[in-house]
Amino acid sequence: MDEAPIITKGRYTYVHDVRIGSPEAIDVHHISISRSVTDFLSLCSYALRLAAACFPIFALMQKTMSVYDLLMLDKPVAIVFWSFVVAGLLIRQILRKQVKKESVIILPAFGVQLETVYRSGKTVHQFVPIDKILKSVLNECVTPVTCYWSLSLIIRGEDELLLAFKGLYPPITMLVPIWKALCAAIDDKKGADIPSDCDNR
Amino acid sequence: MSLQGKHRILMVSDFFYPNFGGVENHIYYLSQCLMKLGHKVIVMTHAYGNRSGVRYMTGGLKVYYVPWKPFLLQNTLPTFYGTLPIIRTILIRERITLVHGHQAFSTLCHEALMHARTMGYKVVFTDHSLYGFADVGSIHMNKVLQFTLADVSQAICVSHTSKENTVLRSGLPPERVFVIPNAVDTAMFKPAPVRLSNHEIVIVVISRLVYRKGADLLVEVIPEVCRLHQNVRFIVGGDGPKRVRLEEMREKHSLQDRVDMLGAVPHAKVQSVLVTGHIFLNSSLTEAFCIAILEAASCGLLTVLPDDIIVLAEPDPNDMVMAITKAIDLLPQIDTEEMHNRIKKLYSWHNVAKRTEIVYDRALKCSNQSLIDRLPRYLSCGAWAGKHFCMVMIIDFLLWRLLQLWQPDRNVEVVPDSNLTSGIWVQMRMRYNW
Repeated sequence: MDEAPIITKGRYTYVHDVRIGSPEAIDVHHISISRSVTDFLSLCSYALRLAAACFPIFALMQKTMSVYDLLMLDKPVAIVFWSFVVAGLLIRQILRKQVKKESVIILPAFGVQLETVYRSGKTVHQFVPIDKILKSVLNECVTPVTCYWSLSLIIRGEDELLLAFKGLYPPITMLVPIWKALCAAIDDKKGADIPSDCDNR
Repeated sequence: MSLQGKHRILMVSDFFYPNFGGVENHIYYLSQCLMKLGHKVIVMTHAYGNRSGVRYMTGGLKVYYVPWKPFLLQNTLPTFYGTLPIIRTILIRERITLVHGHQAFSTLCHEALMHARTMGYKVVFTDHSLYGFADVGSIHMNKVLQFTLADVSQAICVSHTSKENTVLRSGLPPERVFVIPNAVDTAMFKPAPVRLSNHEIVIVVISRLVYRKGADLLVEVIPEVCRLHQNVRFIVGGDGPKRVRLEEMREKHSLQDRVDMLGAVPHAKVQSVLVTGHIFLNSSLTEAFCIAILEAASCGLLTVLPDDIIVLAEPDPNDMVMAITKAIDLLPQIDTEEMHNRIKKLYSWHNVAKRTEIVYDRALKCSNQSLIDRLPRYLSCGAWAGKHFCMVMIIDFLLWRLLQLWQPDRNVEVVPDSNLTSGIWVQMRMRYNW
């Protein structure tokens, strides 16, 4: 197995891995995102703001409510404590949904597997047979505030493009080798199909 | 910076294809001719329905349809600072050297020029229309124009009348305003191969049937001309609120067999309508630059240009009837091919592009000025308005700096120059040395 080339740009890291497979090598492309100090600081500010939003809600809770005595909401310290607990739970939910790594695994002549790994440890897989892929394209996506590159697959019979990276926005320098590998795999499959059609005549 | 004198231009306007009109045509043809001269041109407009994102047009003209919904008459909702992030991203990723805004009525144009100046880019503005001074709408529009043009590098107007109007409305020094007339696609507007017989004279009118285009004058002129000249027939193309008046006139004077109402005529079919006529009648009360007259002259119609291919009249029915009579008398002397060739030489988009290039070169030679040096220009816009404009620019500057801290310029990826096959919608191929 060759040494895996690694590219790092900003918070994104790209690793190209070639694994021994049968009958051909399996081409694996990973892109992962690291946490930064800015992330930590913004999380802290979110937590403080959420706690501040929960504070008046708890403070306005009526004495007749059953949780009032249970949570001891008559004491200001308890209100502050429970506000931070709720904020913490909400932040934890947000963090669990954050994407840690996404991979594109090209299985020549079979298909393409897209994997998304979340910070909670959950992994989501999606396999697309090679016959269903018409083309792999690099798109410029325009939003009201920004413009970024995305790698997509055009699937036969489907109206919408399938994004290869759903949670991450990696730079174009990392998307280009993956796009080239996908194009090569799709073109190889098309080239292999033509002689087999001729043989069947 | 531009390479070997070539510029990277961002054309900005709310008005672009698939919307159809004079401004849209101007931007498209000018962009195509500038690309032929070796410049890089990008167009930015708002999304039209499902048409959102990046599109490529003929010759590789890249168009950004930014998903800001139009709110009134195809104009983007004015938010002052909402478009700053996307405009900054486009300017950096496309390595733009100069921003060219079109049309005073376009809010996206004004915002883009404001943000471009804040970020230190040179800007050029082209005004395509004439506006009044007295009504409430015009007063507000003129104030907005004054704000935008207070700090513009150069301005372009499509006629000398338009230049006078723009200079008076905005207070811009006349020496910073260039006059570059519009042009016409003479390859598309050609005369009929067989000259029409003069047995029956056909007068063609193609315009929006609204007050400003003089539809009310037509209601009085057409019956009078039909009464004076029995061999004259009218073809009226176009639609609008005044169409009802023309239909009523037709019924009242029993002119159904002499006046054909075609309704809205798609631009692609205009030439086929023009070549069925001998004379083109334009009754507009005001026009900054009437491309319709050029299109008609290019098709060989005598227009009511140089004195021998145009007959002018006051916006008065009697004067117009006399002018039409004069035009009918001049008809036997008209050579349609010769007229087409003259228009081809006088009004060409290549010529417009070369003249616009000179304006760009002049704009790029203007000195770079900091915010402190630019603020006095806004202060001179008025006692209260000047201070207000300065506050807007200071806030824009601060927001830009915040944006630079949050997303530094180096994090915005530059788009590589791609080789595109010319023609219709293309697939982009990129070359990367990996």
